[in-house]
Amino acid sequence: MSLQTHDLSLAIADKNIVEQLNICFNPGEFWGVMGVNGVGKSTLLQALLGLYQSDKGFITLENKEIKDYKRLELAQLTGMMHQEYDYNFPSTVLEATLIGRHPFIHNWQWENDQDIKLAQQALHKVRLNELSQRLVNTLSGGEKRRLNLATLLTQNPAYYLLDEPVNHLDIKAQLDILSLLKKHFQQGSRHCGIMVIHDPNLAYRYCDHILMMFNHGQYLSGKTADILNQENLSRLYDCTIYQSNQQINNTRHTFFLPTAISEAEKMDI
Amino acid sequence: MTAKQHPYAILFYLLFLVLGSFVFALLLGSGKLTADNIIALINGTASPLQYTLVFDLRLPRALAAFATGALLSLAGVLMQVLLRNPLADPYVLGVSGGSALAALLAMLSGANTFWLTGSAFLGALLSIFLVFTFAHSKGSWTISRLLLTGIILASGWGALLSFVLVIAPPEKLHGMLFWLMGDLSYDRPLLLSYGILLVGFLVAMLISRQLNILLWGEMQAGTLGVNTKTLRTIIFFLSSLLTAGAITLAGSIGFVGLVIPHLVRLLIGTDHRLLLPASALTGGSLLVVADTLARTLLAPQQLPVGILTALIGVPLFLYLLRRSQ
Repeated sequence: MSLQTHDLSLAIADKNIVEQLNICFNPGEFWGVMGVNGVGKSTLLQALLGLYQSDKGFITLENKEIKDYKRLELAQLTGMMHQEYDYNFPSTVLEATLIGRHPFIHNWQWENDQDIKLAQQALHKVRLNELSQRLVNTLSGGEKRRLNLATLLTQNPAYYLLDEPVNHLDIKAQLDILSLLKKHFQQGSRHCGIMVIHDPNLAYRYCDHILMMFNHGQYLSGKTADILNQENLSRLYDCTIYQSNQQINNTRHTFFLPTAISEAEKMDI
Repeated sequence: MTAKQHPYAILFYLLFLVLGSFVFALLLGSGKLTADNIIALINGTASPLQYTLVFDLRLPRALAAFATGALLSLAGVLMQVLLRNPLADPYVLGVSGGSALAALLAMLSGANTFWLTGSAFLGALLSIFLVFTFAHSKGSWTISRLLLTGIILASGWGALLSFVLVIAPPEKLHGMLFWLMGDLSYDRPLLLSYGILLVGFLVAMLISRQLNILLWGEMQAGTLGVNTKTLRTIIFFLSSLLTAGAITLAGSIGFVGLVIPHLVRLLIGTDHRLLLPASALTGGSLLVVADTLARTLLAPQQLPVGILTALIGVPLFLYLLRRSQ
């Protein structure tokens, strides 16, 4: 079982964001998707969910084209944590988490105890369990991100598409969430994670596969160790990024540090 | 953990509110009724005059008021989902303008009640289709485009309404102004309205969980398996049809469709499986009470009920708005 793109081409207006993309996402893999702002990372994720029409090529899930799935069927197998939301109505954190069960509940039916238990477990995992009766519009930015993840964990699809899940989170919360996700997508798991992330240090530490999206639809993909290096990163972000390996507490760590002066700084001088 | 109560239990309490509002409406008025009269009405020994008063005059009017309030409240809930904004009301897309214009033209031509209500309904439908056609062209169907189309059309209707009022003969002006402010003293098509209310309510309940999810945005809803394009089209036509039903019954009555969903949401939250029926019951009861006051406060002079709902609604809404900051 896998989520696979076949010669996939995507365009926003006239701009190609993906050209002839052939990639196979498998359960037990945790992918990091990297690229500059506006390169089309979010659009690619939406296309993988069938929410964005491809120009050419197609996407299959379990060897069946995703456009042949019913929307509800697809929602049982794939789910996505979106970047931002603005929500102006009084709902509790628990209610917001429970919408993740929507694809599994029939019309007229209410969530049962099992659904509520799943939602509470998800809230526990993201450490929001104590806020389950709070109104969502009173949450902080970081808490909102964790709530979105809890909703996705409650849906618990085979394919988790994560659009910058650690945005707005403090350093410890970032590590907590990424460790949680890494465990979820470890080898032998029936889940696969595909995550948009900007920080190369976090990507190196948590993702086992990397997809780099360059302008004009070019891309690089493969195992993290093969792809995530000084040359590729510097090319990707169009500035010099230095790689360093260090031994800290008997663990070998890899760092990436942008060293070149950015265009903006040059202009100030 | 507290004892488990079915979520629908709250609706049971609201039924008492409905019952109370009807008792209030049946008892109050120029012909005084006492407790003895009520007992006589129930065991069948009351005078024919009292029967006529209660069952031929007051009950149909209270039923019309209830349907209007329920229709407007449901339409308000749906419109707020469609525009993802708690401050939207059933008239925000200009449905009432088209309806009012058609009704006023019917009055101008001296049409009877049947044609008056019929043209009000057709005017509302025409307005709905105009908004849909313009907002929907080329497949883009965004909230701002929809709002802009509705508001522009509404101001167009407004200009035409003023034009009709200016050229209307003075003896017809009073009736027209009453119609515009919302008024329940006409003979109204009760059966049609309750038909629309029932069908509208059932369809709304069928999509109620999808409404919860659509509030989180089209992307999130799509991710969870909701066909957002179809859903939004359904919501648009459903809320418009409910509004058309209400306008046909009572003209444009302000604030019910805006304040009731807001108020009920503060009390029971945003789950539409509860919010829809609770809003319908609360809005219906409120309008029954408001209409009873409208015909008794300055009796024998009748007030348009729209004045009363606005007088209650404006301070209530300002208070809610302040509280929500």
